[in-house]
Amino acid sequence: MSAETVRTIIDDLGALLLFTMILILAAGQIYRAIYAVAAQSLLIAIAAAVLATATGNTDLWVIAGITLTVKTIVLPWVLHRVVRRMNVRREVEPVIPVAATLALAVMVVVMSFHLSATLGPVNQAITGNALPVGIALTLLGVLVMATGKTALNQMVGLFASENGIFFTAMAVTQGMPLIIEIGVILDVILAVLVMAIMVLRVRSTVDADIAGLDRLKG
Amino acid sequence: MMTGERSLGLLLFEMTFLVLLGPLVTGIIQKIKARIQCRQGAGVLQPYRDLAKLFRKGTVQADTASGLFRLIPVLVLAATVAAGALIPVVRAGPPSFPLGDALLLLGLLALARFLTAVGALDAGGAFGGMGASREMTLAPLVEPVLMMVVFSTAVAAGTTELGALAAQRGTSWVLAWHAADFLGFAAMLVLLPAETGRIPVDNPDTHLELTMLHEGMLLEHSGPGLGCMLLASHTRQIVTLGLVSALFFPIGPANGADAAGLLLGVGAFAAKILVLASYLALVESSYAKLRLFRVPQFLGIGFVCALTALALRIL
Amino acid sequence: MTETLLWVLPLVPTVTALLMLTTRDRRILSAIDVCGSAILLALTLVLAREVAKGGPSALGLLRIDDLGLVFLLLLVVLTLAVSIYTVGWLKQAVAVGNMRAESLRSYFALVHLFVATMVVTVLADNLGVLWIAMEGTTITSAVLIGYHGHQHGLEAAWKYIIVTTIGISFGLFGTVLVSAAAAAHGAVGADAMSWSAIMKIAPMLNPGIVRIGFIFVMVGYGTKAGLAPMHLWLPDAHSQAPTPVSALLSGVLIKCALLGIIRFQTIAAAACGPAFPAEVLLVFGLTSVVVATPFILAQNDLKRLLGYHSVEHVGIVALGLGFGGTIGTYGALLHVVNHGVTKALAFFAAGKAIARYGTRDMRVIRGLLAVAPIGATLLMLAALSLAGVPPFSIFVSELMILRAGIGQGHWVAIAIFLAMVVVIFAGLLHHVGAMAFGEPTETATREPEAWSPLLGMMLLAAIMILLGLTIPASIDGLLRRATEIVVG
Repeated sequence: MSAETVRTIIDDLGALLLFTMILILAAGQIYRAIYAVAAQSLLIAIAAAVLATATGNTDLWVIAGITLTVKTIVLPWVLHRVVRRMNVRREVEPVIPVAATLALAVMVVVMSFHLSATLGPVNQAITGNALPVGIALTLLGVLVMATGKTALNQMVGLFASENGIFFTAMAVTQGMPLIIEIGVILDVILAVLVMAIMVLRVRSTVDADIAGLDRLKG
Repeated sequence: MMTGERSLGLLLFEMTFLVLLGPLVTGIIQKIKARIQCRQGAGVLQPYRDLAKLFRKGTVQADTASGLFRLIPVLVLAATVAAGALIPVVRAGPPSFPLGDALLLLGLLALARFLTAVGALDAGGAFGGMGASREMTLAPLVEPVLMMVVFSTAVAAGTTELGALAAQRGTSWVLAWHAADFLGFAAMLVLLPAETGRIPVDNPDTHLELTMLHEGMLLEHSGPGLGCMLLASHTRQIVTLGLVSALFFPIGPANGADAAGLLLGVGAFAAKILVLASYLALVESSYAKLRLFRVPQFLGIGFVCALTALALRIL
Repeated sequence: MTETLLWVLPLVPTVTALLMLTTRDRRILSAIDVCGSAILLALTLVLAREVAKGGPSALGLLRIDDLGLVFLLLLVVLTLAVSIYTVGWLKQAVAVGNMRAESLRSYFALVHLFVATMVVTVLADNLGVLWIAMEGTTITSAVLIGYHGHQHGLEAAWKYIIVTTIGISFGLFGTVLVSAAAAAHGAVGADAMSWSAIMKIAPMLNPGIVRIGFIFVMVGYGTKAGLAPMHLWLPDAHSQAPTPVSALLSGVLIKCALLGIIRFQTIAAAACGPAFPAEVLLVFGLTSVVVATPFILAQNDLKRLLGYHSVEHVGIVALGLGFGGTIGTYGALLHVVNHGVTKALAFFAAGKAIARYGTRDMRVIRGLLAVAPIGATLLMLAALSLAGVPPFSIFVSELMILRAGIGQGHWVAIAIFLAMVVVIFAGLLHHVGAMAFGEPTETATREPEAWSPLLGMMLLAAIMILLGLTIPASIDGLLRRATEIVVG
C-alpha cells in the first residue's frame, strides 16, 4: 500500500472512531454505549492491521489481534454480563444534559485540532488527521468518565479513552513498544474486572449504583 | 469528469419525475415496514390512490381560517416542487442557465415548512398550533445541521450548486471518501428521519396528539388542499433523499444525453433512492418514537457529526 | 550483582504474596508478612551499597539510580514498619470483627502485590513500565481500600479507581507524546520510552511537544500524587482504607507518583529549560497547599484530617521542586522521606486511637494520654512533626524549601506558603491537643497497649527524630547524588 492510501484509510477510520465516540456520548441506554465501544475497538484493530500491512511491523499484527479479542469481544461481553446481572434496563437521567455534553464534545474536538496544529512539526508516522483525532478520542473518553451517570458508563469511558491513546500512539510512533501495549491492555482488563466486582458488590448490598453513592464529603 | 450542462428540458423532466415518483417512495417504505412487521400491507401504489381520492373531494374549512389558508397548500407544494428542480437526477453537471444552489434548495424547504406552520396556526385549531410549535422548535436544530453537511461537501468541491458538485465528485466512490464524508454522511443518516418526518423524530402514521409533529399541522386541511399537502410531503421526502444521493453518492448519472444514458441515470437514481428508503423503513421498524425532549439529544448527534465533518474539512 | 537484584526485588513481594495463599492461619500469615518485608529491606540495603559504590545500573526495562533509591528505601522501610504494625492491628481488628478471619490471606497477598507494583514503579526506567506499574498500584490498592466491604469503603474505592484512572490516562497520553518527541530523534522501539535513553537526547527534543506532554503527565501523575485540584479521591481513600493500607497510600504511593513527575520534570527541564516545569510545579504546589488548609481546619474526621494533610505536604514537595536549585530539590527529596515516615507514623497512631474509641470523630476522642500514654505521645510527636515544629525532620526540609524560595525570589509563593503553614500549624495542634488531653471519653477501652504496633511506631519515630537532629552521612550523600540527577 502506498503511504497516501494508508493515510486516507487511517483518516477514514479516524472519522468513524469519532462517530462511535459521539454515539457513546449520546447513548441513552447502556447497551448502545457498549456496542458502540466494541465497534470502536474493532476500528482500532483494523487501523493496527492496516498499519501492520503498510509497514511490515509484526508487532502491530499482535496488537491488532489482542485488541480484537480482548477489547472487541471479551471486555464488552464482561460489561454485558454485568449489565444483565445488575438488571437495569431503563434510561438514567444524566448529571449533565446530553446537549451540554455534546456541546462540550464539540469544543473538545475543535480544541484537539487546535492543539495538534500548535504542536507543529511533530514527526508523525501517519500525517493527516490521526493525531488530532487521537487527542479528541482520549479527551472525549475522559469526558464520558467524568460526566458518567452510571458505573457502567464510566467503564465504557475508560475503554474509549484507552482506545484514543492507542490511536494516538499509532499516529505518532506506529504504536507503543509491544511489551508496553500488552501491559497497558492487561491493566485495563484487571481494572475492568475489579470495577465489575465492585459494581456488583454494591448492587447486591445496597441496591444502588456505585457511581451514585455520595456519602463521603468534606 | 465534467459532464456538460443540463438543459431546461432535462431539468423539467427531472422535476416532473421527482414529483411523480414521490408517492411511490412512501408506498415502498410502507410496504417494507409492513413486511418487516410480518403484515401484508397496502400496495405500493396506495399513496397515489389516496391522492386521487383527496383531489376528487370537496373542501371543508374552519370558520376561523382566513383566505390565506386556502392558498397555503398550493404555496407549500410549489415551494417543494421548486426545490425538486435543483436536484440532479439523471445527469451530473451544472444547469445551462443560472438556477440556484443547495442553499436555495434548503431555503425553499424551510419556506415550505414555515408556510405549513403558518397554515396550521391560521386555522386556529389546538392540535395544529401544537404541531406547528413543535415543528418550529425542531426546525432550528435540523436546518443548520443540513446546512453544515452541505458546506462540508461543498468546501471540497468548491461549489454549492448540486449538479456541479455531483459532477466534481463524479469519480468518487465510497472507498475514496474523505474522513469528513463519513461524518457528514453519519450526520445525514441522523437527520433523514427528522427531515422526512419519520420515527424516531416524528410518527407519520398517527394522529395522537402526544406523538405527532407534522401530521398535526395537516389536520385542518381537507380535500384537494390536503392532497397538495400530502403530495408536498412525499416530494419533500424524495427531494431530501435526492439531496443525500447528490451529496454522497453522485455515482451513476449518465454522461450522454441519449436515451440509453438517460435510462441508465434514471435506473441508478431509483436504486439509490430505494436503498435510502429501505434504510428509513428499517429505522422506523426498529426504533421507538423518542419523547419530544429526547429529540434534541438525538439531533445533537447529527450536529456534532456535521460540525466535526466541517472541522475536518477546514482545519 | 546489582543487575540480579533489579529483577529479584519486585519478585520478593510477589513471591511473598503467593506464599500467603498457602495458609489461613493468622500467626503464620503475619510471620510471612514480616519476613517478606524484612528480606525486601535487607536486599534493598545491599542494593543501596552496590549503587553507592558502582553507580546506577540497568537491566532491560528496569534501572536503579540514586534518585530511585531514595524512594525505594522509603518504600521498604515503611513496608517493614507496616508489617510489624499489622501483627497487632490485625489481631485486634479480627477480634472486633473489622476483618474476617477467613479472608485474611487475600488481604496479605494484596498488600504484597501492592508493594510489588510500587517497587516496579520505583525501579522502572521505561516510562511505559512506569505507567503500567502505576496503574497496577491503582488496581491493587483500590481493592484494599474497599476491603472492609461496607458501602463507604466501596464508594471511596470506586471514586479512587475512577478519578485516578482518568488522571492516569492523561499520564499515558503525555508519555506517548514525550516518546513521540524522542522517536523523532532516532530513539527506536523501547528506547523511545526509556528515561535514560531519552535523557541523553533530551536537549534536542522538540520543546513544544514536550511541554504539552509534561502538562498531561503533570495532571496525570499529579492526580495520583494527590495534588489539588485533582486530589478529590485522596481524603476518601485514605480515610476508608484499613489503617496499614492508609499508611502505605499516604507514605509511599503518592511519593511514587511524585517520582514519576520528577522523571518527566528532568526531561522537560532539559528540553524546554528549567523555568517551564518549575512554573507548572509551583502552580500545582501552591494550589494544593491553599486548598488543603480550610479542610484541615474544619475537619472532624481524624483520618480525613491526615488525608488532607497529605495534600498539603505533596504540595510542599511540589513547591520545593518548583523552587528548584540544589537546595530546593534536596529539600523536596528530604521532605518526601520525612513526610513518608511521619505520615505513616501518624496513621498508625491514629489507627490505634480510633480502634480504642471506636470512632474517627475527633470530637469524641478525648483524654487519649490517660488511656494510652505511649500511643498518645507518639501521636503528639507525629502531629508536632507534621506541623513543622523543630527539632523534627519536617521542620528541616520545610526550612530548606523556604530557603530555596527566598534564594529564587519567589516572594508571593513564599508568603502564601508561610501563611498556610502557620494556619495549619495552629489547626493541627488544636485538634491533636484536644484529643490527647482532658478527661477520657466513657466509651474508650482501657486495655493495655499491644507491643507490635508500638514497635512499628517506635521504628518510624526513631527515624523521624534522627533525621530531625542530624542527617547521617550516607543518607546525605544519597540525597546529594539524587539531587544532582534532578538538577543536572
